[in-house]
Amino acid sequence: MKGPGYGRLLPLAVVSHYRRHPLQVTALLLILILATGLLTGVWDLTRQARHSMEQGDEAIGSRYQIVRQDSQSVTVADFVRLRRGGLCVLPWLEVSRPPPEGRVIGVDPLSVNCLRSADDNDDSRVAPGLGQAPFMDIGAAAAIAQEGYDSQLRLLVRHAGLSVPEPYRVTAVPGGLSTGELADSFLLNLDALSVLVLLITVLLVRSVYNLGLVQRRASLALLQRYGVPGPVLSSLLIAELVLLAVIASVPGLWLGQLLARVFASGFGQVMGNLFDLRLYGGTSLVSSYLLTLFTLLAVLAWCAADALGLGRRITGWLKVGPTGPVLAVAILIPGLAGLVWGSKLWLVFIAVGLVLLGIGLLIPILLARLIDRSARRSREPLQHWSRRELALMLRQVALPAVALQFAVAAVIAVQALVTTFESTFTQWLEQRLQGDVYIEVPDKRDISQVAEFLDSSSDVAAWHTVARGTARIAGDSVDLLVLPADSSLLDAWQFLEAVPQPWQALAIGGVMVNEQLARRNGLALGDTLTVTVAGAPYSAAVVAVYADYGRPVGEVLVPRKALPADFEPRFRSLTVQLAAEPAKGLAELRSELEALWRTGDLQLRDNQQIRQLATGVFDQTFALTRAISVLTLALANASLLLMGWVFFSSRRWYYQLLQVWGLARGELGSRIRRLSTSLTLLVGLSALGPGVLLTWVLVSRINPLAFGWSLPMAVYPLFWLEILALCLLVGLAIAALFQLQNRRQAPAPLPTTLGQGVER
Amino acid sequence: MSHRKSKPITLMLLLSSVVTLGCSSGEDEVSGFAGLAEQIEQDAGQGAGYLQPGPGDAIELPADLGPHPQHRIEWWYLTANLTTGAGEPLGLQWTQFRQALEPRSPQDNPPPAEQWPLQSVWMAHAAVSHDGEHYFHEKLARGDIGHAGAVAEPFQVWLDAWRLAEREDPDGDPQWRLQVNGPGWGYNLLLQPRRAPVFHGDQGFSAKSAGGEGSMYFSYVDMAIEGTVTLKGETLAVHGTGWLDREWSSQFLKSGQKGWDWLALHLDSGAKLMAFRLREEDGGPFKSGTWVPAEGEPISLSGDEVMIEPVATRSTSRGQVPTRWQVKVPGQDLDVVVSAVPGDYWNLGVFPYWESPVRVSGSHEGRGYLELTGYGADE
Repeated sequence: MKGPGYGRLLPLAVVSHYRRHPLQVTALLLILILATGLLTGVWDLTRQARHSMEQGDEAIGSRYQIVRQDSQSVTVADFVRLRRGGLCVLPWLEVSRPPPEGRVIGVDPLSVNCLRSADDNDDSRVAPGLGQAPFMDIGAAAAIAQEGYDSQLRLLVRHAGLSVPEPYRVTAVPGGLSTGELADSFLLNLDALSVLVLLITVLLVRSVYNLGLVQRRASLALLQRYGVPGPVLSSLLIAELVLLAVIASVPGLWLGQLLARVFASGFGQVMGNLFDLRLYGGTSLVSSYLLTLFTLLAVLAWCAADALGLGRRITGWLKVGPTGPVLAVAILIPGLAGLVWGSKLWLVFIAVGLVLLGIGLLIPILLARLIDRSARRSREPLQHWSRRELALMLRQVALPAVALQFAVAAVIAVQALVTTFESTFTQWLEQRLQGDVYIEVPDKRDISQVAEFLDSSSDVAAWHTVARGTARIAGDSVDLLVLPADSSLLDAWQFLEAVPQPWQALAIGGVMVNEQLARRNGLALGDTLTVTVAGAPYSAAVVAVYADYGRPVGEVLVPRKALPADFEPRFRSLTVQLAAEPAKGLAELRSELEALWRTGDLQLRDNQQIRQLATGVFDQTFALTRAISVLTLALANASLLLMGWVFFSSRRWYYQLLQVWGLARGELGSRIRRLSTSLTLLVGLSALGPGVLLTWVLVSRINPLAFGWSLPMAVYPLFWLEILALCLLVGLAIAALFQLQNRRQAPAPLPTTLGQGVER
Repeated sequence: MSHRKSKPITLMLLLSSVVTLGCSSGEDEVSGFAGLAEQIEQDAGQGAGYLQPGPGDAIELPADLGPHPQHRIEWWYLTANLTTGAGEPLGLQWTQFRQALEPRSPQDNPPPAEQWPLQSVWMAHAAVSHDGEHYFHEKLARGDIGHAGAVAEPFQVWLDAWRLAEREDPDGDPQWRLQVNGPGWGYNLLLQPRRAPVFHGDQGFSAKSAGGEGSMYFSYVDMAIEGTVTLKGETLAVHGTGWLDREWSSQFLKSGQKGWDWLALHLDSGAKLMAFRLREEDGGPFKSGTWVPAEGEPISLSGDEVMIEPVATRSTSRGQVPTRWQVKVPGQDLDVVVSAVPGDYWNLGVFPYWESPVRVSGSHEGRGYLELTGYGADE
């Protein structure tokens, strides 16, 4: 090996293992590519969404519009008049179409550049890209509107304090359903998911590479015996790792970008429709690539530590004696304490990391020791052997097993979160969208002008008014909601906590608070709360706490009679329940109300349409979340399958020996099946606890800390059964693969070198 | 769907071609020039319905001060050499371009404004050059909704709050007011033509290539200007002389033409000179001009009768620009050097071009403006 050919021959000798086992290098590369792809994909998607949300806040969050003082709709003539008067107003034509096409927004790309002079030199922030749904040229949007869809023109301005000529004034653009907080929560959960994906990726990559190293121990030892110094060998292994990382990261990155693009179209529609934010930017190759590279480098460092023998010493040290469990418990205790008592979001995130690390360390060791102990107690030799073998397997494939465990835990948590989120949001939506139609009472118009018409119309089954304003509690400003406690439309409300018959309790002098206010002010049922409205104090007992997922602000709900006579609501609306079979459509209702109120710009919303939209959008959103977690699970399963198969292959000689000793072929097969399914089922079962814990952390710790409200905690045991069935399938597949291979090739005798330092 | 998607694409096409109007940019936009020419040739092949000016076409006033919706491109273009109350020179530009996306007969009404039609796009440029500094601003708008437009009688051209509009002075003579507000600067001027409009080329048809393509082109070469210019919060009284061009066509530059060099000079003798050259990829440039004597009829200059050659370049923010020119009109005993005043005069809009005040020295003295397209490069 020494001499002039040394430099070229040695690397060839090192990688010759892969020439003999091309499947192994293919599998390794495939897993690397899949893992980096998944990681960059999820990372890119959340980064894009977050970026868009920030931009959305800029472009849409601080939106003001110019309206006419006479409540008539603004037209293109108003736009021209204001522009020619020197004001920088932008036309914004929203056209509502039912799904799947959804809403479109027409903008005039030619008129946005006045913002440049108005504020800064970067109008790209506020100028939506025309090519990106739902934006299009305003002319095209107007053409769609002409097909008979509801449309509304707004004239947007950047600042509220703009001085505008008669007969105009500046108002805030009504937010409709303000769901920004939900979007934030959704993204935060996606972030958590991507951190998990990262963790799983790291574990998988390392374990697959490690397995390769174990298999190559014999050939590496041979090289050392030929005189290749250890450090040279180690550096060659590191070089090989770098090469593998580079080869895999490029297609992995491409796959990730593809994944992000595929998901982004659905995701963009979801975010746009549901959360009123859009995916503006394309994917950023640089940040994704840096992340991928960083991850691979971290794994590389870890693997290099192994190659240098360092990792093996540490893991060996952890696997025997009390060090492993003691260390795991020492990590778990502060982690769990952080989870329960952590008062900051980042603390909870660190605590989750610590807990997962502790669990990952503890469970394989603990399980292996428990099985070892039960093996010692077993008198039947074959059973004794089976248990010892299972314990050995657990130690040998500990890393992919932990990765699978985390993946299963993540899938369980995501599934629980998604299902809870979906049902809770649907309930909340039902509550918020009481009745069939929502109507904004126009400025300077009185409800009495339409009350008679609504009362007498045979198309209207029931209606009530909703008023919103501001109140003060101990000097702090909170939102005020005023509802008629006797309205039949409120019967569907569900409360987080409530006294019996809460609406009656409200009517006779109570107050309801939203979850945010209850949490912030530590309010419970029966507590007395003093609310000051328009300078007049109103003291009443809290009779209910209701969920309010839209916003972070506190809100109180009081009955109409609690308000002073001079209370001026900030905003009023009507909720109308239509008759079972109304004779007239919504368009007629709108025109009749417009005539009574003498306005041409009535804001009327069909709640049914919104419900449909939200449902469709939720299906899409959660299909996405599920897809990501299922992909992770598939990746983890595939790795375990591969590793289990390789493990059995390396043990073939022993199994053959069992046959020689008289064990029937069928009996051996069933032993192996039992072994592999026990392994995967153990992994699945041990993931249930962490899964429930993760669910609890997401809904009860992360959400309240981030947004002030929590989701109800629920577990779904039927889903657990599905997951366990999947684990069982993977176990059966491992055994089947092994037996297939066993039937085709005779086992090679055990090389003496393999016996050294390897557990038997 | 195709209808919806095609609009933005058309819009971009339009924007890229608006530039070509007279203000294209660097070498990097050669494709923009060629792109427009190709599209024009394509449209012509499909009978796109644009009118093409040709020899024998006549100019009618005041109608031709208004828009020409059946032509692809047109502009109203003012350059002015002014003097402040303190006697300092001040250069000023105002231009409004119209670019058609679809031709429309002047007899047809535009689609209703409620449809937000996009048959034409308007672009306005304003610039002030003073004390070595150059201020520029650009505005865009769609046509046919009232946001931007032009009418012949009473003459008015506008985009947003910028406008050039006719009004009567106390003696009943026509006067035009030009109002522009850029970010932190602006001007408010009264303009009065002192001479009848000059029709360039053949009764207003100005050839732009040896093949006979060209535009309709006339100018108010001597506009008396006075008013105020506001810069850095200071309002300066100004007076001086302006040059207003009106030009329209459906094919201005052919593929193979890389850009143009145009100048308009006010000579101290009272004579005026307009000269331009279009740089060809192959062969020498296409040249043309008009000599306007202090008294008497304008004289059209063919390529052989006018020499316009760069003699020195200046290193600018967008690369080398020929800022010193030798201009000769042997038939009029004119042999002058035209130099851009010190400074960087790029109009950095969607499509950058050079527009600078110049000084004239040699056989004649004077002032004027120089416009260069197709130079420089993006950073």
